[in-house]
Amino acid sequence: MSAYRNNAYEEDPAYPDYYGSRNHTRGYLKTQDYPDSPGPPNNSDDPSTRSNPYSADSRTSPDYPGSLAEPDYPRSRRNPYYPGTRSNPYSTGSGSPDNPKSLAEPEYPGSWSNPYRPGSSREPDSSESRRNPDLAGSRGSGNYTGSRTNPAYLDSLGEPDYAGAQGSSNYAGPGANSNHPDSRRNPEHAGSRISPYIDAPGAPDYPDAENQSSYPDFLGEPDYPGAQDYRSSTEFWGEPDYPGAENAHDYSSSENPEMTREMLSRASSVQPSFHREGDRPFGILGRKDGDYPESIEMKSRETANPYSPSVPGAPGNGYVDPAYVGDNGLSQAYGDPPLSGHDWHKSPQGQKLIASLIPMTFRDRIKTIRNQPRTMEEKRNLRKMVDKEKSKQPRRILEFNGCAQCLNSISLAYRRSKNSLSELFNSISLWQKTFKVIGGKFGTSVLSYFNFLRWLLKFNIFLFIVTFSFIIIPQLTMAKKNHLQFTGLEFLTGAGYFSDTVMYYGFYTNTENQHGSSGTSYNMQLAYIFTVGACLVVCFFSLLFSMARYFRNNFINPHIYSRGIAKLIFCWDFTVTLKSAVKLKQKNLSTEIRENLSEIRQENVKLTLNQQLIRFSAHLAAWVVSTGVTIACCVAVYYLAKKNTEFLANHSNPGEVLLLPFVVSCINLVMPRFYSMFRLVERYEMPRHEVYSLLIRNILLKLSIVGILCYYWINIVALDGKECWETLIGQEIYRLLLMDFVFSLTDSLLGEFLRRIIGLRLITSLGRQEFDIARNVLELIYSQTLVWIGIFFCPLLPFIQMMTLFIMFYVKNISLMMNFQPLSKAWRASQMMTVFIFLLFFPSFTGALCTLAITIWRLTPSADCGPFRGLPFFIESIYRWIDTLSQSRRYLWVVWIYQNLVSSVHFFFILTLIVLIITYLYWQITEGRKIMIRLLHEQIINEGKDKMFLIEKLIKLQDMEKRASPTLFTPDTRDVEQSGPLRVREHDAARDLRFRRSVQEDNPKA
Amino acid sequence: MGNKQTVFTHEQLEAYQDCTFFTRKEIMRLFYRYQDLAPQLVPLDYTSYPDVKVPYELIGSMPELKDNPFRQRIAQVFSEDGDGHMTLDNFLDMFSVMSEMAPRDLKAYYAFKIYDFNNDDYICVWDLEQTVTKLTRGELSAEEVSLVCEKVLDEADGDRDGRLSLEDFQNMILRAPDFLSTFHIRI
Repeated sequence: MSAYRNNAYEEDPAYPDYYGSRNHTRGYLKTQDYPDSPGPPNNSDDPSTRSNPYSADSRTSPDYPGSLAEPDYPRSRRNPYYPGTRSNPYSTGSGSPDNPKSLAEPEYPGSWSNPYRPGSSREPDSSESRRNPDLAGSRGSGNYTGSRTNPAYLDSLGEPDYAGAQGSSNYAGPGANSNHPDSRRNPEHAGSRISPYIDAPGAPDYPDAENQSSYPDFLGEPDYPGAQDYRSSTEFWGEPDYPGAENAHDYSSSENPEMTREMLSRASSVQPSFHREGDRPFGILGRKDGDYPESIEMKSRETANPYSPSVPGAPGNGYVDPAYVGDNGLSQAYGDPPLSGHDWHKSPQGQKLIASLIPMTFRDRIKTIRNQPRTMEEKRNLRKMVDKEKSKQPRRILEFNGCAQCLNSISLAYRRSKNSLSELFNSISLWQKTFKVIGGKFGTSVLSYFNFLRWLLKFNIFLFIVTFSFIIIPQLTMAKKNHLQFTGLEFLTGAGYFSDTVMYYGFYTNTENQHGSSGTSYNMQLAYIFTVGACLVVCFFSLLFSMARYFRNNFINPHIYSRGIAKLIFCWDFTVTLKSAVKLKQKNLSTEIRENLSEIRQENVKLTLNQQLIRFSAHLAAWVVSTGVTIACCVAVYYLAKKNTEFLANHSNPGEVLLLPFVVSCINLVMPRFYSMFRLVERYEMPRHEVYSLLIRNILLKLSIVGILCYYWINIVALDGKECWETLIGQEIYRLLLMDFVFSLTDSLLGEFLRRIIGLRLITSLGRQEFDIARNVLELIYSQTLVWIGIFFCPLLPFIQMMTLFIMFYVKNISLMMNFQPLSKAWRASQMMTVFIFLLFFPSFTGALCTLAITIWRLTPSADCGPFRGLPFFIESIYRWIDTLSQSRRYLWVVWIYQNLVSSVHFFFILTLIVLIITYLYWQITEGRKIMIRLLHEQIINEGKDKMFLIEKLIKLQDMEKRASPTLFTPDTRDVEQSGPLRVREHDAARDLRFRRSVQEDNPKA
Repeated sequence: MGNKQTVFTHEQLEAYQDCTFFTRKEIMRLFYRYQDLAPQLVPLDYTSYPDVKVPYELIGSMPELKDNPFRQRIAQVFSEDGDGHMTLDNFLDMFSVMSEMAPRDLKAYYAFKIYDFNNDDYICVWDLEQTVTKLTRGELSAEEVSLVCEKVLDEADGDRDGRLSLEDFQNMILRAPDFLSTFHIRI
């Protein structure tokens, strides 16, 4: 507001003394720096000031409109906004078509002429004192203006931050709403185009309730407890006596802003009481109200209907709150009528919605209600109405059996328990605050890494709970005493003391735990194999489902790929809240948009054959090198592992076992960085390709190392005939996992810290580094693969992984906050997450599954340890269990299921066939849908052309009408030329098919 | 949370739960956030539906919104009168739409309204210019901005009428999967 006025002062030579004479200008100037001040809400001052002046003095300065065209206030900002708010009353309440039109544009200059008047109204010689001689001391109506504007001054002075925001406060609601409806009702108004507001100096706005109710908000001060009570003061406005004049006098007499502020706060703190007592602090405002009885009517409307705060200033019929304009556009998407807030559900569409809601189940109903793009009030009413209807219905049906109540209470109880359950789950959600901080600084993309980490953590917690309760606890109940010595090195090697604990396979027994007299027994063998199996099955399905969900959400239409400027613009990251991060993000975004634009500009630049060849050979070389390095690493690891075993057989230094995991972790640490250096050689046109190729190379490296180690374990260690080879493998996996953890810990704490020091101190051109999401996620995938493979050999592995993930979260979080800067490129977080989950599923989880399948079906368990001792294969335990079951008649069905479904080749053959057929059918359906999408797309384009054509016709038609009766339609045609009302018209034309048809029919006639 | 019964009646809480994507606890948390914005203004007893609005200046000063370039639009879109002053209902509505659970269509609908600066039901070139200016802090030249707007219309305007309707917008949002996670304010 202040900025606006200030500009007015500056630009307007008629009031030069103004500029300097007022203390407030200080505040204005200050607030001008406010970054948002040029935003649209700034307009809001206009209405706010506009509304005062009506009463204050509207006959002022016809030259004001000139100053409207200030560069800071592009016309467009104002115009389009007004149509939005304005057009609604017109479109619905077009009972008197010429009236709204006369309001639309021509009046604005008149109303705008006021704004700088309120300021001036405080000068002693202002006109309103003339008008109200009895209040000369308090300068008549100027008091009100003063009191209204003062708070703004105060705020702009005291809290410059709010200044821009303040403007917005009275904007659309009070200013626009109140003016138009009122003036529309004013019969003089229609004709007052030539000399606007001369006849209506008292301004019809004043009585408007909404105006006043916005006042407290306008103050913007939290210390106005009674602010809302101002609203109640509206009840007294309409009365012509001024008992509250004294109070208003308080406001206006305080020229000093600071003083005013104090007074205001004091006054407002007392306010609630005197409102209730029936005093009229603003009674003075009502001085003109006697002439405007409709104001009272309006008030009564408002007070009568407590559910219609959105229709406060609505005169008469069919006011559409600006917030619902969108409903027109949405009527197709949501099937809602463009009706005003509180009574839309009485409309046919609302009724239809209610009717469609009634037969739904409770859950669907709630979901539908929630998804309505409506305000809480409406949703609540909708819910109430549906509930009412619903309660009517079953009573009719179930009257006689009296079950309704019972059913009702059951459903209620179910609902409550479900609610409390979901609350419980919600309270578990970890790190809510930390996520907010990370998101606030780094945005969604980096957050996706932490989300992934948390997801894995939850996964491992689940795995741990299952293994702990079904394998570890039963084993602990009959644990033998551990005779091995604990040195502390075991934490690193995982051997020694630990090898004789529940941690490893070898410790578990194959005895059936007898539990005393009850006679029930716990078969450790079966428990072990079923628990591990169940874990893997649950992992499989949860991975599958989350993968499917991601695919569904993020690859809805992958073949329509555009350059994506629209995505850049409309996908602003609302999670980012930190000021510096927002600034950086804005900067990055503008660079990115520039790059994108330059890409588009150079789109047609074709590379020469030579360049293409060079590029191709660079890619080829990079791939050859990376694959070669991967193979070399694998071979190295394999031979190292083999040599290491031989070496360990001869030496007994417990620390030696750490060599292999150390080398593997080194490879994992160095190689990805080496790969990312390829970027210098091969230049990808799209950053996406670079990310993907890097990803493929890294995952290839990591998983082929894991693969070669699996091969080594299965083919060398397991067949070596050593005692308890399962425990050895478990130890090996433990060491790998731990070493990986240690490496990433040091990397995060030391490497990234050093990198920051180098970037900031030594080679400043490097700057801070960016968080490499892909590399970090791959590290997580790698360790999770190890856990899945190791869960069979070391059931406690999920627990260890749980701990490492937990620690990693904090370490990464700290390192992130200290050492990194937000990403400069837009990272397609959602699609990348889909890729990561897919990678977790495909090479990682399926690989682990294959390894375990080979282990269980092919390998011979060691003879002297573990639950499967003495069996030829691990799977033999299942066979034997089935055999024992088949002897007892009670479990024959289990045997039948096993024989006919699980172990039956025919069943699986048929199942596969069916699945293949279904897949094929779905594929065909997808193909058909693609064609359909294309056709529909074409149709949309045609519709658009159709629409444009019709709009042109319509404009022509209106022009003809104008020519036919120029006097009658002058304001009308003027509006048509303006963009706002035209929008409304063409909008209707486009939406309403019937209307369109009628126009088409009319056209030939015309 | 023992005193939640004094703030809302049971029915009120249930109604809020059914109308938003929040649990009881979150509603209470949001209420206290709301109350903290203007402790003197907002009573601690909502059983009688007090008619209280927290002014935009306070809403906009929330850390979640403070530095958001679109905070004014958000507040305007979700407030009843489009002036940014919010009742508790508006406040809950806003965070419900911005929550993780809100479906894409709902989010797209409100995002459309946020980007539709002049409330004319279409994102026209002027709206796009506003958006781009807000997003880039005016770092792009006027020519670049107009080029961007042209490109955006080129990409997203399905019916080629020179502006984006809600359908166009929703269609484009479908192709931008990140929208779902980015149009999200954590509370």
